[in-house]
Amino acid sequence: MASFDITDPLSFLKEQMMETLRLVIDPELHINIIDLGLVYGIDIDAEKKLVNVEMTLSSSYCPMGESIISAVKNCIEGHYDDYAAAVDLVWEPVWSYDNISDEGKRLLGM
Amino acid sequence: MSGIKQNPGLYKIVVTHYVVAAFCFLILSVMMLFSVKAFTGHYFHPQILAITHMAALGWGTMIILGASYQLIPVVLETELYSEKLAWMSFALFMPGLTALVYSFWVFVPGIHMQSGAILLLLAVLLFTINVYLTAKKKKQETIQEDFIFSACICLCLTAALGAALVFNFTLLIFPQDQLHFLKLHAHMGLIGWFLLMLIGVSSKLVPMFLVSSYQNTKLLTYSYYLIIGALLYFLVDSYLFGLSLRTYLIFTIGAAGITCYFIFIVKCLRSRLRKHIDLPMMNSFMSFILLKIATLTVPFIIYFHLKNNPVTIRFSMIYGEFMLMGWITALILGQTFKTLPFIVWVKHYEHLTGKFKTPMPAELFAENLLKAQTVSYLIFCLTFMPGCYLLFLPLIYIGIAMLMVTAMLYLSNIFTVLFHKTVTYGKL
Repeated sequence: MASFDITDPLSFLKEQMMETLRLVIDPELHINIIDLGLVYGIDIDAEKKLVNVEMTLSSSYCPMGESIISAVKNCIEGHYDDYAAAVDLVWEPVWSYDNISDEGKRLLGM
Repeated sequence: MSGIKQNPGLYKIVVTHYVVAAFCFLILSVMMLFSVKAFTGHYFHPQILAITHMAALGWGTMIILGASYQLIPVVLETELYSEKLAWMSFALFMPGLTALVYSFWVFVPGIHMQSGAILLLLAVLLFTINVYLTAKKKKQETIQEDFIFSACICLCLTAALGAALVFNFTLLIFPQDQLHFLKLHAHMGLIGWFLLMLIGVSSKLVPMFLVSSYQNTKLLTYSYYLIIGALLYFLVDSYLFGLSLRTYLIFTIGAAGITCYFIFIVKCLRSRLRKHIDLPMMNSFMSFILLKIATLTVPFIIYFHLKNNPVTIRFSMIYGEFMLMGWITALILGQTFKTLPFIVWVKHYEHLTGKFKTPMPAELFAENLLKAQTVSYLIFCLTFMPGCYLLFLPLIYIGIAMLMVTAMLYLSNIFTVLFHKTVTYGKL
């Protein structure tokens, strides 16, 4: 899961971007990708104005994978004009139900 | 990387198959309306043969082929080998289907029926080659791959035996009578093609749509070997000796395989993350119940057959109806609205998602139409199947009328999804 270092000057921007990514909704579950725990971290290269989102999918054969990745890029680039976004899709650690936030569980009726 | 790599070519192939299948479903219901009395007789009847092939090929196989071009790359986690091969297969399949169904209906076993059978055989061979070459690109082997590839081989064998049976009408290739081979042809199709293919694909899709935590595939492995074992045993034993007491054993092996699959589905259901089950998934679960009922009719077919009781024919008809018009139809009626809206949604919204608030895939179809379709289909099952068993024509008429309503609602909803206009609800 994403964590923030208070000594990092970009931590506020990272947290802001994380909040922005709540706008990306999983098209099948209708829950945002942050509460689903799909985003593992955000890396910002302030000089190159590049954002790298490290994330996973709920399964490696998720048919909506392309759409979710595209939404993440669109979301960052649409809200942070100067920045270009890239997604680093990782399978370690493997996504599990424990990644889902309490709010996500509530929305899923768990 | 994974996910649907949507491109206009693939979209056209998939959508064409869905639309043609929906029209075939409507035509099928009309054909049934004109053959009501035939449902009270023997299954080896021109109109029943035409209807069965329209249901199995025009409806069931057509939509499975279309969905496969979209889903097999998802299940096998690689891209489709060739779109050209897919189009060639479709171009052979359509005239083949038309020729075969028409010549069964009027029952002229001549050149049209023979060319139809050959065209269909070539079409399914091209499909199988496409699936094989798609799977070959992939390194890791899964049980789903075994299911899917075995199903494709069975489809080719079913079509080959079917073509031989068609030629047998005029050339007398086989020493035994046509009915002896008909049950081999039917089971290779129903169990070998439909059952293996639908288990292979659904065992990936059901956990995915339910977001289930159950990942163990051991039950699927048991299911695969038990079903394949039972099918091969049945084909050899039934070819050499016909139905006998051993057929009960074969049935038990096959039923054990299906039970393993059911347990897998139940485990997925119990460990599902998403508690709410939507209407398309409800339709899919209804299909599993219909498959269970179909399976339960088999011991009666064997029992009455061994007793030389003609009631066996009625049970065989009911079995076929529960398999084709029950299990396969219910599964398609539900899964269409899980898969097609996604395919169309990706085309309309992939580039907009994250920038604008957009509708979700489930909002692309008309919920009310789907509810009405589910109700009318349920009435069909509750009237048509008992009507055929009781040989009660009014019930059969009501059932077929309800099937026509189901087909019209289904078709309208397909067009609702396909003619969806891109809308956004403001910037995010």
